[in-house]
Amino acid sequence: MAALLLDHGAGSELLPREELALGEQAARRTLRAQIAQLDRLISAAVCEAFPDRLELAPLPAGGPRIESLGELELRRDALVGVLRAARQQLAARELERDAARALLAQMLLDPAKYRRVRISQRELGVGGCGVWSVMPKLGPMGRLMGWWRVKLSSGCPLAT
Amino acid sequence: MAGALEEEFPGLRAEWIGCECSEHRSDAGVGERLARLASRFSGRQAVELRQQQVPAAYRSFFLQIGIDPDQQPTPIEQAALGRLLAGGNLPQDRISDALLLALLETSIPVIAFDASFVTEPIELREAGSGEKIGADEMAPGTLIVADAEQPLCQLFTAPEPPLAATRASRHLLLVAVAVPGVSEITSDEALTIAAEAISGG
Repeated sequence: MAALLLDHGAGSELLPREELALGEQAARRTLRAQIAQLDRLISAAVCEAFPDRLELAPLPAGGPRIESLGELELRRDALVGVLRAARQQLAARELERDAARALLAQMLLDPAKYRRVRISQRELGVGGCGVWSVMPKLGPMGRLMGWWRVKLSSGCPLAT
Repeated sequence: MAGALEEEFPGLRAEWIGCECSEHRSDAGVGERLARLASRFSGRQAVELRQQQVPAAYRSFFLQIGIDPDQQPTPIEQAALGRLLAGGNLPQDRISDALLLALLETSIPVIAFDASFVTEPIELREAGSGEKIGADEMAPGTLIVADAEQPLCQLFTAPEPPLAATRASRHLLLVAVAVPGVSEITSDEALTIAAEAISGG
């Protein structure tokens, strides 16, 4: 450090300060790029979740102004938290869908065992508002004879 | 644009154009275009807006200047929300319809000022100590739209009368705030659409 100051001579006090300012500006740009990238990833998660809504925590707000390095870091970290929460919610939803698909597969194999179960298309992650349920074949006759089948209701015509 | 802001946000700029307004009601063509844009719009599209290039650029910029776009939506997301809640793009007056049309067509917000109260050039800058918009004193460092003499409005906030264009305004100054990532051709298009819808060109 002493050698550096000697090399710079009389202007040595100004140069590091300028370099520091430039370094901070570059750091702010990097943070802004990270914030933009995180927002793109969060947006992708929100779109993937549609028509379900992700519950995401609000971010600290105080603008519009040029934020300091520290404020940008806090915002970036908050966005990382939001992205993590969004992905956890998507993963939990996918697990629920897997469970619903497995249940439907079991219903198809043994309808009589699942007579009161109803699984909606939405629970399966499929479009439309139809519902899978177990119905007797041939109406009352099938109910008395124990003839059961899995049927998908036609759903609401307005949904399509 | 002020130097500090230009260094921090290369590409951030205010563009403006003058136009004349002689009617209160929108031309039939403007109403039809608004209705057509409304009829093509669904909830999924409203959500997916945030992934399109220009709306995403505004969202990113909002986050970078300390605004949470999920609490204070970007102008295009606000318009999409308004469309879903109202069930259509309801006609208002010539100026509002023109600004909405430009926003929906390009995703770029355009502000209309009464030209008799505004002096070119328009710039984006940080508010200085003690600067006021109307009766409200701005916190130093707040990003504002300003003309050669005075602050006009806070960035992404509607201007107040008498600066804002009203039904009584004849000469208007339309200002588009383009953020980094928005091409010049798109912001020009927004201004042209709004100016033509207002002046009937």
